[in-house]
Amino acid sequence: MGERPVAQLGRSSQHERVGNVADNVYADVYKVLLAGMVLSTTLFAIGVVLALLHPAYVPLSADWVRQQYHWKTFIHGFAKADPGAFMLLATILLILTPVSRVLVSIYVFYVDRDRKYVIVTGIVFLVMVLTVILSHFGLK
Amino acid sequence: MTYSVSFVLWLLGSAILAGFLGALLGVGGGIFIVPVMVLMFHLPIKIAVAASIVSVIATSNAGGSSYVDQRITNLRLAMFLEIATTIGALSGSVLALYLKEWAMMLLFAALLLYMGIMAFRGRKIDDKRIAAGDYANAKPDRLSAFLRLNGSYYDQAAQRTVDYVVTGSPFGSGICYFAGVASGLLGVGGGVIKVSAMNAHMNVPMKASVGTSKLMIGVTACVSSMLFFLAGLIHFYVVAPVAMGTTIGATAGTMIMNRLHSIFLKWLLALLMIYLSYGMLANALAMRFHIHLPHLG
Repeated sequence: MGERPVAQLGRSSQHERVGNVADNVYADVYKVLLAGMVLSTTLFAIGVVLALLHPAYVPLSADWVRQQYHWKTFIHGFAKADPGAFMLLATILLILTPVSRVLVSIYVFYVDRDRKYVIVTGIVFLVMVLTVILSHFGLK
Repeated sequence: MTYSVSFVLWLLGSAILAGFLGALLGVGGGIFIVPVMVLMFHLPIKIAVAASIVSVIATSNAGGSSYVDQRITNLRLAMFLEIATTIGALSGSVLALYLKEWAMMLLFAALLLYMGIMAFRGRKIDDKRIAAGDYANAKPDRLSAFLRLNGSYYDQAAQRTVDYVVTGSPFGSGICYFAGVASGLLGVGGGVIKVSAMNAHMNVPMKASVGTSKLMIGVTACVSSMLFFLAGLIHFYVVAPVAMGTTIGATAGTMIMNRLHSIFLKWLLALLMIYLSYGMLANALAMRFHIHLPHLG
């Protein structure tokens, strides 16, 4: 296992970062991935257990899936311990984990003044944003 | 679809296996899960593709975090190549919403066959080059030198630190663009293409390619997932056991990958790709042309 002295100390400002750039990025990327994995897996597990306790027919259509996206359905589902609400939240968290990883990388490279990689990771983030915009306006 | 214990257990079990193999080979596992969901559970292929794409993120989180922790992943290289793969994934996802099922299967079969042949042909090279220290004796291209893409990792099987210099960056990123297209189009992370691109064309050792690809596929799959999500194709009841299974399998796989010799990984890769290619080809031919090839178990 590699050393992660800087990240493990925690920090609140640029001046506290004393390790090399590679250590900082590796440590922070690791934390984001781990958090995403633990949170989403826990929520999925809750959802699956709830669904198995009350087995029901689940439609496979896209229309049914899209109906679950509404905030009211989602919040109402949580209030009723609806398994779909837990699974939906887990899915959203899972999808957002790589986005968070890219954002954290941009931040770490910025704090460590590695401009080249702020640009590289920034381009990746822009393409991701572009995808969402195209999806929303072009494919909905 | 009735949400039963047997349905969940079958999906969970196959996803664990897919996650495990995916961790060994640097792929998302979608290439293993999609055929299982389509051929065994008869789920619509677009639902299966979308579920597998989300599970690619799950396996990337699990496998990627472990390989980042072990320093097998080359983070700079991953971030550089992600530019090409994300643009490719965007292109592929748009195509996936309009293509016919049989055409997607046929493309899937061709891609798997290509991957299998590539892995088989280069099966012995890696271990020899590591032993000879060849990976460090290369001249980086301008882009590689400018972005400081070189790396190193500790190889447990060879019991030595392997230093390597990245070459052929522009060509490699071109191939990774098509890996992104494959991800969006076919529901696979494009991981095998990325591993092949890095290993065969960019002077990156097999295990570093696997670790780097494992991280990258998460971002590529994320881009595709957003499109599928808005199209209502990500069925979270199907995603849940698949994502849990791939997470468990990938976590287990990352614990042993570095202890294995590269030749074993490449053999495994080649065999699985060719087997799955045949299955998908048979399905596509039956669907479109009513030609029935013999089943291989």
